[in-house]
Amino acid sequence: MKIVNFAHGAFLTLGAYAGLVAGQLGLAPWFGLPLAFLAGGACGALVERLVVRPLYARPLDAILATWGLGIIIGQLLALGFGREVQFVAAPLRGTVDVLGMPYSAYRLFLVLAALVVGGGFALLLGGTRLGLATRAVIMNEDLARGLGIDAGWVRFATYSLGSGLAGLAGALITPLSSVDPDMGVPWLLNAFMLVMVSGASLASLLAASVLLGGAQVVISGWANPVLGSLSIVVLAALLLRVRPGGLAR
Amino acid sequence: MRTLVRPVGIAAAALALVAFLPMLLDEYTINILVRSCLFAVMALTVDVLWGYSGFLTFGQSAFFGAGAYAAALCFTTFGYSPGIALLSLGCAVGAAALIALVQGWLSFYHGATPLYASVVSLVVPVVATQLLFSGGTFTGSSSGLTGYDVMDLSSEEWFYLAGAFLVLTTLCGWLFVCSDAGRVLTALRDNEARCSYLGLNVPMLRIALLVATAAVAAIAGWLYAGSSGVVAPELTGFVLGTEAVIWVALGGRGTLIGPVIGAVVIDVTSAYLSGSLPFLWKLIVGVAFILVIVALPQGLIPAIGVRLRRLLPAAPAATIPVLVAAPTLPRAASDGIAVDLVEVARNFGSLAVLQGITFQARPGELVSLIGPNGAGKTTLMRCLSDGTERSGGTIRLRGHDIRRLPPHRCVAYGLGRKFQTALVFDTLTVAECLRIACTRRERPSFWRRSTMLALPEAALGILRATGIDQLLDREARLLSHGQKQSLELAMVMALDPSVVLLDEPTAGLTRPERMRIGTILTDLVANNGLCLLLVEHDLDFVREISSRVVVLHQGRLVLDGTVGDVVASDLVRAIYSGELHG
Repeated sequence: MKIVNFAHGAFLTLGAYAGLVAGQLGLAPWFGLPLAFLAGGACGALVERLVVRPLYARPLDAILATWGLGIIIGQLLALGFGREVQFVAAPLRGTVDVLGMPYSAYRLFLVLAALVVGGGFALLLGGTRLGLATRAVIMNEDLARGLGIDAGWVRFATYSLGSGLAGLAGALITPLSSVDPDMGVPWLLNAFMLVMVSGASLASLLAASVLLGGAQVVISGWANPVLGSLSIVVLAALLLRVRPGGLAR
Repeated sequence: MRTLVRPVGIAAAALALVAFLPMLLDEYTINILVRSCLFAVMALTVDVLWGYSGFLTFGQSAFFGAGAYAAALCFTTFGYSPGIALLSLGCAVGAAALIALVQGWLSFYHGATPLYASVVSLVVPVVATQLLFSGGTFTGSSSGLTGYDVMDLSSEEWFYLAGAFLVLTTLCGWLFVCSDAGRVLTALRDNEARCSYLGLNVPMLRIALLVATAAVAAIAGWLYAGSSGVVAPELTGFVLGTEAVIWVALGGRGTLIGPVIGAVVIDVTSAYLSGSLPFLWKLIVGVAFILVIVALPQGLIPAIGVRLRRLLPAAPAATIPVLVAAPTLPRAASDGIAVDLVEVARNFGSLAVLQGITFQARPGELVSLIGPNGAGKTTLMRCLSDGTERSGGTIRLRGHDIRRLPPHRCVAYGLGRKFQTALVFDTLTVAECLRIACTRRERPSFWRRSTMLALPEAALGILRATGIDQLLDREARLLSHGQKQSLELAMVMALDPSVVLLDEPTAGLTRPERMRIGTILTDLVANNGLCLLLVEHDLDFVREISSRVVVLHQGRLVLDGTVGDVVASDLVRAIYSGELHG
């Protein structure tokens, strides 16, 4: 939607904590996922109404406001849950044999979940009325308005949906790593660079994620994890410098 | 000289304040003020980058931290001596400049977006912090470095040093942003494309500015390492970088003094409240920040009162320069062909917008490009002025192959381009816009405003013909549509170009204005040997002033001849009446 949402990392963190809360309340771990989606989505909806909406015409200020918001959400979470790192149990345990190698069942589930969410999103954009309206608003907002599309509502819906998905992602990732109030930032940077590299196409986004994510795993394995954690952003920045169009062209 | 009185007076008052404060305050507060002053210097650099040149950066902390770590590492490794102190200062500035060069190279290139540059500015501190974390005992990892020997100065002496440094950098910043060179920053913020088509190397300017501000931030960091005796990875982190942006936003971006006050007030308050209400205070600052961004974009200090505004660097309209004629530069002889196109093509994917365009134009010719909408006229203009645009073919400007060169290099070959919708610098005055156009020819002063504005005859003629020579102190955004068109035309002519591309230069002008500009253009072509390529829809105007007409239709050149040829052509009539398709 051409709005750069720097609060996305915070929504992801929020989702992660939602998963944590679900665990602490003694609910089944699966229950954390819809809860995270709802928490992210509701928070996103509120933010869109109050903060982002007045700033659609000022993209740099929108970055700033959402970034400030991300920091506030981080502070609130730190206030509520403490600064320390916490852990969440994975809803799936054990391993599955993939091509003769034992592989964590939960990780396999994550791959599937990512594909399902990505596919669902592609269907939504390509096959529904909301998707059509969204694409219209992205291309030419004034024209879309003139044709009777409620651009404000479309922006609201997409922003909330995006925030919800960030929350869901947060809840999905946490069993692999840990939860702390600043966990969203590296994810935000990585995600943003991947979007920059891939351009506005879901297919090339998938390609870029697999390629650079793979590079991260390889570099973490061969060199050290710190270099690995930086590899996505650094590689993406270099790639963009050499090929400003990204992978899409 | 009058413009110097105010900033120097304010700086003197501020220095006196620095001298007296230690008598009034206890040592704890003085120690905090040392830190606040150094942070305020960093906020100052953020304001120059963001408030003035429009580059929102979260990464100035990386340079501050680099300066601090350079000092701490040197002192830890070699111990303290005055020589080592100088060495570490050199390392601090050098390291920061190097990081800034890399960051600038990654962020600024022809076609990069400002959003992308902001993201890279966030990546830099994250990378820097991670590297420090993984540095083991050398960088002290997460606990940082402490216990190194530094200059033996008391808190007061450090405060004098930090306070004087803050006052001096603020004064230099003030003089710089108000100078003719400083106005280029605002031009970059307002319209980067126009800058590069005025022959300014935009990426290089931005990188140079980043390196300079990085060096200043690094010196502040170096002082911090000396005064506090401890450095930690947080100094390079994005959180500090963001806090600097918050100080600037709350104090008032683009005001220099506002960010300094913002940084000092917020940092001192944080120091006092961090014991009792650490999270709540940060929350309040964060909420205030968002409120200011949404509701009061110019910040708190300018909003508090008009009275305070007199303390801010501004009032550009105070001096209206006198217009004088610039000496005519001897024009380098060319081989007689001003523009030479061979088989130029432009595709968007499988759609060929231009194909096989071959023609030449000589000095002293006024060639009109005509054709119905979508014929590719504007695309051809774009290919002529930006080497990265075309998909195939060769273009020579006065014998120079433009290869894949960006617009400012094409301008260096003698090109000037006026856009279809006038591109001017909205927040600059007419005189300032014209001065930016002269930047390529004469290097602007870094600390004062020139009282004279030397323009080539052609530019002066356009200003006089359209009456905007009477509006030199008016901001460009307040001009009417027609006046903006004339201003942009005058800016292009101020480049003293040999080849001029005009995309509908007279749209929005009245009939008499249009005739006057027509006369000026034909004079230039006849007397100065200018080569002019004109896109125009007004066929009467074309008929009156053109020496040759080139007709484009659906991306191809269909006719190249005299006005008479075109008027008599059945083909052209068929194209315009819509009878011919494909």
